[in-house]
Amino acid sequence: MSLKIAIVGCGKIADAHIGEIRKIPSVQLCAVCDLEPIMAEQLAVRYAVPRWYCDLTRLLEVEKPDVLHITTPPQSHLSLTRQAVAAGCHIFLEKPVALRHSDAEAIIATAVRAGRKLAVNYWPRFEAPALELRRLYETGVLGNPVHVESYIGYDLGGEFGLALRRDPEHWVHQLPGKLFQNVMDHVLNKITPFLDDQQPFIKAIAWRGKAGAGELLDELRVIIQGARTSAYATFCAHARPVGQTLRVYGTKNTAHADFAARTVVLERKQGFPSALGRLFPPFLTAKDYLGQGLKNVNSFSHAHFHFFEGMRRLLSEFYLSIEKDSPPPIPYEEILRVSAMMERIFRQVYPEVEA
Amino acid sequence: MKVLVTGAGGFLGRNVVERLLAHGYTDIRCFLRSRDKAEQLQALAEPYPGAQLELCYGNLRSKTDCEDAVEGVSLVLHLAAGLKGAAAEMFADSVVVSRNLLEALEMREGMPMEKTRVVLVSSFGVYGVAHLGRRARINEKSPLEDHPELRDTYSHSKLRQEQLFWDYQKKAGFELVVLRPGVIYGPGGGAFSNRVGLQIGPVFFHLGGSNLLPMSFAVNCAEAIVLAASHPDAAGQVYNVHDDDLPTASRYLREYKKHVRRIRSIRLPYFAMRMLARFLEAYHRRSQGQLPDIITLYKVATAWGGNTFDNTKLHALGWRQLVATPDAMAQTFEYLRRQNAKQ
Repeated sequence: MSLKIAIVGCGKIADAHIGEIRKIPSVQLCAVCDLEPIMAEQLAVRYAVPRWYCDLTRLLEVEKPDVLHITTPPQSHLSLTRQAVAAGCHIFLEKPVALRHSDAEAIIATAVRAGRKLAVNYWPRFEAPALELRRLYETGVLGNPVHVESYIGYDLGGEFGLALRRDPEHWVHQLPGKLFQNVMDHVLNKITPFLDDQQPFIKAIAWRGKAGAGELLDELRVIIQGARTSAYATFCAHARPVGQTLRVYGTKNTAHADFAARTVVLERKQGFPSALGRLFPPFLTAKDYLGQGLKNVNSFSHAHFHFFEGMRRLLSEFYLSIEKDSPPPIPYEEILRVSAMMERIFRQVYPEVEA
Repeated sequence: MKVLVTGAGGFLGRNVVERLLAHGYTDIRCFLRSRDKAEQLQALAEPYPGAQLELCYGNLRSKTDCEDAVEGVSLVLHLAAGLKGAAAEMFADSVVVSRNLLEALEMREGMPMEKTRVVLVSSFGVYGVAHLGRRARINEKSPLEDHPELRDTYSHSKLRQEQLFWDYQKKAGFELVVLRPGVIYGPGGGAFSNRVGLQIGPVFFHLGGSNLLPMSFAVNCAEAIVLAASHPDAAGQVYNVHDDDLPTASRYLREYKKHVRRIRSIRLPYFAMRMLARFLEAYHRRSQGQLPDIITLYKVATAWGGNTFDNTKLHALGWRQLVATPDAMAQTFEYLRRQNAKQ
């Protein structure tokens, strides 16, 4: 049976959701919805979606979708989840999950109580480099993680950056963690699988990287210390190129994943003595990169090299979990750990908002 | 008469404000998104001692800001539009803001709608030329695009915006004048329209060849807008806006290379472009969008099929080209050369 999908929220990210939904043959997108009729209409026309609505209640009544993708700003996530779950929908939620951790808890509790499934769009976790890194960890190649570095670059001159800089009323400015809250999920959810501690020590600092760029803080550094593993989480708006990397230092080996280039390279313990030990590593690394490059060419030739490949993988797993009634692809406790860590970070960098 | 100019801080907007002043308008409200352009605009009014520029800051996405903007005005020149960014942003900045503005006009009390004139700056992009055949002549009676979803988002959003204005005009009864400029250029603008070609990596692919470019120098375009805004016969009319002595894409590129900077360009003839588009379109479908569909047969026929253009209707209104094309190109290239030197 084909799952019926609907989307509420017809802003920029809805394009990405539609693009990936359409690649999954076992589902059908039946309708889109936005409070602003022009926005709902434009999305439906551009993607030939059968119907559009500006009233979610009406959509839920008429279309009876199996899954609702919520791609609205996080301010509305809790109320929309409650409404959609009451109508029998499973939920695919765009990040950030909610304004506050307590709302994230309420969102998950709502879905669990009603026996509905929920996933959050942590798509980089399902990109090939993240999966490969997880494989290296789970097969013991890395040993025990000692330290993790998760880095994300951000272009304030990009489409989204420009939109929020031009509009002081943009919903991102209303978030307790402002710009960071819209991005840090992707930094922290890559760390949590390696972190052993539920309540790690967290120290965060933030500042404006460039004078005259407005009031928005755009550089964030976070130190995290768990019982046996530590981590650095970095959000950086001014370094170039704009990258996204994850580095895991293990007791056996260290691995470096580059999400922009889609590579994972292992830095192995050296067996060669003296100067020879300094001579061979660049060649071994070059060989690794060559292998990764060929792997990427293979993915490209099989049309598995899309920008949102990770989202397609995540959606496929989520829809499958609904059909098979198996656990959703991201454990709820992981979502809540990320949400709790984010709240602790934002309390430190925007204490006035919390007050 | 109080005039509102939306998008007054933009490349075209500043020229429109200058032409309004030159035509004797003295009470002009400039709607701006930021304060960056305030000084530049105020400087425009200095040679006109009796003129008053009221700078009004806000965002047309806000209904309250729209209400403030239209308060007491009887002539609205709507230039603000989404020119770049994600599709959703462009629709929000072109269509949603237009709806907000029109609703604010409709809600006003004490200002009769039939005595209010609204001038919309639309675009050549609203025409559906893909099926017209090469060298077809484009005038105001040419068909509008019936497959906007196959076009670029800018054209799609401008078409929807124009439809919205005509719908509200029927409902509210204000005087509507629509201008459809071609490629607006000049100091402050960009170097190349897609009609000339596309920069892909280090190479510029010259795709326009001997096609005429429907260029409109910003000063000439602004003059057309102000003239149409003022002329009693313009109510309910549409005007194509472009200059008289139109350059070909080859001439524009040649002169750019001569006066601004040397660039590496490869000339791709129309038939080769069609072959490439056919291949890319098939690949886009087969790979489910691994490469974007920026070059399709439909877009190739629209942008590089080659049309001729007709501005007779604008001339009949009394419009004359204030800056001749050679001077306009010289001014533009001098600006681009200086910009290039700065970088």
